[in-house]
Amino acid sequence: MLFSYNWLQEYIKGKLPAPVKLAELLNMHAFEVEGMQKKGRDTIFDIAVLPNRAHDCLSHTGMAREIAAICKLKLQLPKTKQIKVQKGRLTPLKVKIQPASPKTTSQGGPASQQGGSGELVPRYSALVIEGVSIKKSPKWVVDYLEAVGVNSINNVVDLTNFIMLETGQPLHAFDYEQIEGRTMNVREAKEGEKLETLDNQVFSLPEGALVIEDAKRLIDLAGIKGGKVSAISLNTQNIVLQAANFNAVAIYRTKSQLKYTTQAADMYAHQIDPNLAMEALERAYALCAELGIGGKIAQVVDLYPKSASWRIKRITLDMQFVSSILGIPLSQKEAKRILESLDCQVALAKNRLQVTCPTRRLDLTMQEDLVEEIGRIVGYETIPAAFPIAPIAPPSKNTELLWLSKIRNAFKGLGFTEVYNHSFIGDKDFSTFAYSAADKAKLVEVENPLSSEFSHLRDSLLENLVKNVRDNQKQARLAESRQAETIRIFETGNTFRQHKGKFAEFNMLGALIYNGSFYEIKGVCDFILNSLGISSAWYDEYQATSEESRAEMWHKGKSAEIKVDGEEIGFLGEISSRVNTALKISKPVGALHLNLEKLILLASEEISYRAPSRFPASTRDIAILVPSQTKVAEVMNAMTGAGGALVRDIDLFDMYEGEHLAQGKKNLAFHIIYESAERTLTSKEVDTLHNQIIKAVEENPEWEVRK
Amino acid sequence: MVIFALKNSALEAIERAQNLAELETSYKAYLGKKGELTLILRSLANLNEAERKVQGKEANDLRNLLEKRFAERKKEIQREEIVIQEKLAIREHVDVTAPGKRLPKGHTHPLTLAQTKAEEIFQTMGFTVAQGPEIETEWYNFDALNIPANHPARDMWDTFWLKPKNAGHLLRTHTSPVQIRYMEKHNPPLRIIAPGRIFRYEATDASHGFNFYQLEGLMVGKEVSVANFKAIIEEFYRQFFGKPVAIRLRPSYFPFTEPSFEVDMRWNKGAWLEMMGAGIVHPNVFRAVGYIPAEWRGFAFGMGLDRLAMMKYQIPDIRLLYSGDLRFLQQF
Repeated sequence: MLFSYNWLQEYIKGKLPAPVKLAELLNMHAFEVEGMQKKGRDTIFDIAVLPNRAHDCLSHTGMAREIAAICKLKLQLPKTKQIKVQKGRLTPLKVKIQPASPKTTSQGGPASQQGGSGELVPRYSALVIEGVSIKKSPKWVVDYLEAVGVNSINNVVDLTNFIMLETGQPLHAFDYEQIEGRTMNVREAKEGEKLETLDNQVFSLPEGALVIEDAKRLIDLAGIKGGKVSAISLNTQNIVLQAANFNAVAIYRTKSQLKYTTQAADMYAHQIDPNLAMEALERAYALCAELGIGGKIAQVVDLYPKSASWRIKRITLDMQFVSSILGIPLSQKEAKRILESLDCQVALAKNRLQVTCPTRRLDLTMQEDLVEEIGRIVGYETIPAAFPIAPIAPPSKNTELLWLSKIRNAFKGLGFTEVYNHSFIGDKDFSTFAYSAADKAKLVEVENPLSSEFSHLRDSLLENLVKNVRDNQKQARLAESRQAETIRIFETGNTFRQHKGKFAEFNMLGALIYNGSFYEIKGVCDFILNSLGISSAWYDEYQATSEESRAEMWHKGKSAEIKVDGEEIGFLGEISSRVNTALKISKPVGALHLNLEKLILLASEEISYRAPSRFPASTRDIAILVPSQTKVAEVMNAMTGAGGALVRDIDLFDMYEGEHLAQGKKNLAFHIIYESAERTLTSKEVDTLHNQIIKAVEENPEWEVRK
Repeated sequence: MVIFALKNSALEAIERAQNLAELETSYKAYLGKKGELTLILRSLANLNEAERKVQGKEANDLRNLLEKRFAERKKEIQREEIVIQEKLAIREHVDVTAPGKRLPKGHTHPLTLAQTKAEEIFQTMGFTVAQGPEIETEWYNFDALNIPANHPARDMWDTFWLKPKNAGHLLRTHTSPVQIRYMEKHNPPLRIIAPGRIFRYEATDASHGFNFYQLEGLMVGKEVSVANFKAIIEEFYRQFFGKPVAIRLRPSYFPFTEPSFEVDMRWNKGAWLEMMGAGIVHPNVFRAVGYIPAEWRGFAFGMGLDRLAMMKYQIPDIRLLYSGDLRFLQQF
């Protein structure tokens, strides 16, 4: 809110600190000064009044009170005038307040709020002033209003704005003659009722909006904006000057629903003290003559049904409590002085203070609130840093984090760059990646997305990673990727799914190699599983379907589920050519999608040392011609089975298909390493074993050992 | 005589050998298993004693001589070959200023670097790392934190709500719900930090995104004060930025803390930068998790991890962190 330095000075005895210094003091002890601008002889501050002080500091007197406390200056309150009713000829105004309806209450409306009074209008006060003169306001009023960005209209309207900005109590003026039947009924609007406000907007009102209705029609959007029909004009002769206190929740809900707000609405939405109402009217009365409004008060309306509920708050403040929170010793005397400068009444007791808080400080309800007042006025910079005294217990080990760190480092070691992508996907992705209606039905949808491009939450990490590859493709010819012309990236993050309103969140890892084959990504996967001590993983391509990504992403002939025992922990393979084409990616992309949670659960630190044999190993090679679709694993199993314990390792070092071979066949070449931990194997022994293996292999009529 | 002729031809062969291979061939020819001199030596057995004595001596003498000559010649040739190699080496050379072979190098994301460093620092101060879900309920994200519905305080967090409407599901706007979940399951005293991705419905620019990272912290004990908070935070910044930094606390407001403050840090030429919100935990929050407010005290804080990373690594635009641009990422 904007504050005029000169206007603030009106309420302070003695000179205010210079604007820059004042801003510094406000920053350190009360609110952030977001902007400062010189305007002629004045300086205008833009102060971010904290939401819990809106009820008393969205006003020049309220801010002046703060400044007085911070700067140790004296406050100088504006003159008010006691209200005297004089006999007039106007028909008395009848004002009625309706209760909140059960319907809005059940929807979280005013009466449903715990701690609030639940009434739609905690207080309705108004002066009926007979015989006013509508004219231009004096210069000083116009200047102050314009300084803070409010246009001068006429003396009556200006009065309402001036009082609002001075006291924090919004006022509204009605043309008495326009109030049909001289009755005002304050109630909740029904859905769809129409009202034209004096800025020429026509609103279709939501259920529960507060409105004022005369005998015939709606004349006011209560607490937010006056109605056009009851507006003050140059012909106005009699006015109703209203100072009401409206229910904060009702105002907040209405302005949010209408997406329309005013200074008055903002004030009401934070709740203000009902005691301000009559104070504001007394102040208005004092200014009537000066603004040339004149007239006499024909009637005072003051409906204040639950005056007792806005009780003065009494809080017992324990000095020990104050010191223990702030961490500095504080004298009772100093605490008393500070609280009194904030307009509290303080009585001393033994190591305690009995504090009576002013009604306008709706935010002071408990000891902690008073500690904050004392702390901020004293200044937090006076508190020296002091380490806590607590037993040093080592924090509980976050093993998942350790494994995650290990995984990240493993990828880094393999030359991968870590990427972070957004959690959202949307219409562009749906068409690029061919999401079906069934696919979309599984996604979590955002109610209020930023745009249609970000309308849903991602269900896999792959789509964004593939986009990263597309965007970086040209860069593959640069820098570090130059020699290999490859891009290797990985990401860890959460993916989301829903089913009938139940949400599931998965912590996933995705990795891509641009210009990488199935075998390359499989090598990466093996490396990772190995570094986590997971030895029992296997690759299943039989009807391989990924649980956590969509089938369209994967090349059907070159992908596999990664399983441990019976459970799928991830999926890998090459990205489908359909996706490559859609993104104009020119080389094959190897991809890996792992469920991190499952992976980390399986990770084990057990590495047992296996001593190398003291005795030399012998290597024999074997080349086998098999049908193309025969799995290497099958052949290896057969050989391992036949070879027994003395076969230390079987290593596939070549796989060849094509020229010089018969159609539909491939050649597998292995090193078989024979070794015993107890003795050197003789040539003869090794030959015997090797022949055993050859025999076992040849038992399969389709496999041929090449000699 | 035969031996005499053999001697000449052998010596000649040795001299003629241009390289080790040729020398070896000659050696085999004369002194190998089927070499000429070897055959002669073997045939000595067929001679009578007098002849054997004479021819034997000649043959053995020759053998010794040839062995010696072969060895010498081998050494000569080896030396010659070394000289030839060196001559060749001088002509072969590399451009030592040309770049060396580029080996594949991996990179950790700057946000990971910042988060890991922050976690390590807090762990040395006894804080455990806690994590939680990104999809949250209204209760955990707002109500438990003393932020009621239909209240202007909610305006402080622009929220992404999830369908179905009014079911109370949202994307968390801070990692404070993680603290609530942790407190529900653990008794005080405790110290935790909760890093994680959060979501705010905000227009994006160089310093704002709609999903980014936050690091929140909580310490609850019997005696925990604002002074303690200052010490912990000053120490954190000192270790994170590698030098002591000046911080200051200013009054602020959060529904879940009372008193509340903003923490500024002095950066470079004396400009104060707003780094985090913090405060003493509000009794209503303790009530929500089942702690008795009169018995426990705590402070809580929340800072932007993106901001920390941007300051540490001098990254000018937050959007770079989520761009997937390798030219940026490969600088770390």
